[in-house]
Amino acid sequence: MNLELRENWRIWLLVVFVLVSTIAVFAPLGSGSGGANATAANATADSTTSEYTNLKFGLELSGGTQVRAPLAGMTASGLEFSVDDEPAIERTVRDELDLGAGDVRADAEGNTVEVFDDRFVGNTNQSEFAAALAEAGFDVSEDDIRMGVTQTTRDRAEDVLTNKISQGGLPGGTVTQIASPGQQFMLVEVPNANRSEVIDLIGDRGQVETVALFPGENGTYRNVSLLTQRDFASIGGATQEQGRTFVPVTLTEQAGPQFGQAMRDFGFDQQGGTNCNYDLNESLAENKDNNPGRCLLTVLDGEVVFAAGINRDLSASFRDGSFDENPQYQTTTTSLEEARELELNIRAGALPTELDIDNRGTTYFLLPSLAERFKPLSLATGAAAVGAVALVVFLRYRRAEVAAPMLLTAAAEVYILLGFAAAVGLPLDLSHIAGFIAVIGTGVDDLVIIADEIMQQGEVRTSRVFESRFKKAFWVIGAAAATTIIAMSPLAVLSLGDLQGFAIITIVGVLIGVLITRPAYGDILRVLVLED
Amino acid sequence: MDLTVPTVDYADYTNRQLIALPLGLLAVALGILVVATAIAGSPVTLGIEFTGGAELQVETTDSPDQIRETFDEPVASITQVGTAGGDSYMVEFQEGEYEDLETLRTQAENEGYTIESSGTRSASFAAESQTQALIGLAIAFAGMAALVFLMFRTFVPSIAVVASAFSDIVIPLALMRLFDIELTLGTVAALLMLIGYSVDSDLLLNNHVLRRHGDFYTSTFRAMRTGVTMTVTSIAAMVVMTIVAGQFGIPLLPQVGIVLVFGLTADLMNTYLLNVSLLRYYKYEGIAQ
Repeated sequence: MNLELRENWRIWLLVVFVLVSTIAVFAPLGSGSGGANATAANATADSTTSEYTNLKFGLELSGGTQVRAPLAGMTASGLEFSVDDEPAIERTVRDELDLGAGDVRADAEGNTVEVFDDRFVGNTNQSEFAAALAEAGFDVSEDDIRMGVTQTTRDRAEDVLTNKISQGGLPGGTVTQIASPGQQFMLVEVPNANRSEVIDLIGDRGQVETVALFPGENGTYRNVSLLTQRDFASIGGATQEQGRTFVPVTLTEQAGPQFGQAMRDFGFDQQGGTNCNYDLNESLAENKDNNPGRCLLTVLDGEVVFAAGINRDLSASFRDGSFDENPQYQTTTTSLEEARELELNIRAGALPTELDIDNRGTTYFLLPSLAERFKPLSLATGAAAVGAVALVVFLRYRRAEVAAPMLLTAAAEVYILLGFAAAVGLPLDLSHIAGFIAVIGTGVDDLVIIADEIMQQGEVRTSRVFESRFKKAFWVIGAAAATTIIAMSPLAVLSLGDLQGFAIITIVGVLIGVLITRPAYGDILRVLVLED
Repeated sequence: MDLTVPTVDYADYTNRQLIALPLGLLAVALGILVVATAIAGSPVTLGIEFTGGAELQVETTDSPDQIRETFDEPVASITQVGTAGGDSYMVEFQEGEYEDLETLRTQAENEGYTIESSGTRSASFAAESQTQALIGLAIAFAGMAALVFLMFRTFVPSIAVVASAFSDIVIPLALMRLFDIELTLGTVAALLMLIGYSVDSDLLLNNHVLRRHGDFYTSTFRAMRTGVTMTVTSIAAMVVMTIVAGQFGIPLLPQVGIVLVFGLTADLMNTYLLNVSLLRYYKYEGIAQ
């Protein structure tokens, strides 16, 4: 056997790629090359990577919950205004559309104004938004308003969602933005979590507000929003002490004195603290009529979840101003579970806008134990398919030295593809498995073309004859590969979920096949069949 | 079993005779799709990925009829998953006919079912997917056609490849309607894969006949020997994948497999009847004129 490098470089190239793939799939990455990425993703790794390999598995092969939904909102872009105009614009639009405090965002730098409300979530439509902007002095029509939010908002939402999931006790979750023509989605995947856990965590914006409720000058009650998530510098863990549950919080340097001043202005600094008789079962308006006393309300997504008075020590610290210097207090809750939820929401921050899962989203849950079964079963399916191919090929050629390398080459192709998946950290799903099987299919087709072409009548005496036949075979193979890639490329770009993985694997597989493995098969044939 | 590719005496048949069967079947397939569209509103049954709705895969010893009764909401379809006689069922609900997934899940859990998987797709997202899948198919097909014309630069051989690829997609679609196989993301992927797969043997045939020296029938025979082996290998792989994955209850793979089997079988006919006769016409009459 002649395995000289110069003549058989295609075989050696294949060997090199197989070795590289082995490293990619099996070499322990450990603490070293996992590097920067690994710290946050370590938890991820534990639940989605395999025990023996570096392969990552997607939801369909590891089980868990996937949520895919757009962020609610509309954006008008290309508007010229200065940073100083931002608050005025936000106020005008907010008042026109009757929206809440955090629901309008004007960004002078990006020349955009967005509202976090649309015809699906809430009840603002494009023309109403355009009208509100006109009120704020912009010449815009309904057509200038696009559905969806800005990149800045999406990035912020991605951060908040990531925080919520990692701090919400669901390790290994990932949040990604997916762009498809005309629409942007957030994709949240949490292995091993069930659907309701995930929806509970990300389904709401998690906007926490602290509101002061107190009697005004003429005796009617006023409520003033004082703090939001951003005003907290640090949050302690949810605590249970002597039957009382609370979250210790510290305000930022700016918010502290402002809050202290507000407390003094609104009379919360009175001697002996304040009494609060707020009834959580009734609405804010009803409570106002019942003379509840001075209360601090904790409001989550617009709903009062807790109300409490100020104890003696805290009101004393408002009075003498020591609170302004050292702005910390405890937010009491009714249960430890609520305290945890409050802590989580303050920590993770509020979503800039709601994820519209109900109207425009999809959710998917797969039982982890079932998914776990799919791994060996899909391997077995692949093996059975290869077996079928082997049988047909043996029946057709009846020569082990033609058929065996054919199967080995096809297997090498899938192996290199696995190496690619491990190297780029592609999480494998069923669609990828389908892609692998498709690649074996096209691979064997091409190998049959090569075998038939090279072994046609007439001995291959010189390398020139071999090269010429090889080139002829390659015209068809190249053309077929080009059509497959063209046929698959729309799928790789469009966001059709599952199909993207299938398309990517097929395209990469065809490329690996045409450039590396299938040429090597020609050389193997020459060595085994023609030179003996 | 001897797997030698049969020799067909093309010389015994006229082009009209050869072309009759594939064109006839294509016409029947198109007819089925048109009638189905007229009656049911869409050429093939759309899965919930394209209509919106909820699905629940449950494990239970209950019969499908009992499962239907478990839910207050109308069940759109129940399919048994995995080995025949197994206990897993996929239960689907149409968009708008249920309150939310959580109530469906609760009803299933109260009945003691194990929920193996569950999913929802909103109608607007599904509509979007439908448009995208159609666009994807159209772009893929147009791209393939453009590439084929670019490679051969002559009308008849190119249109032969494109026509046979078109029929390779239409016939499986009609079969999907007849066997009531839903159009899902998996089957769309299979249809796209068919564009790539089916063109292989046509390219091979055209290449042998047009770009090689030698007699038309010898070239055709050679191309056929290679091409039939290729297609039969693929069909064998896909039949096995469909059966094995179906038995194991793995989603997605059986759907991809069955559609590819339909398409590849159609391709055998289209390549060696339709494409061959168009090429022969081109070789003996098209060029001569």
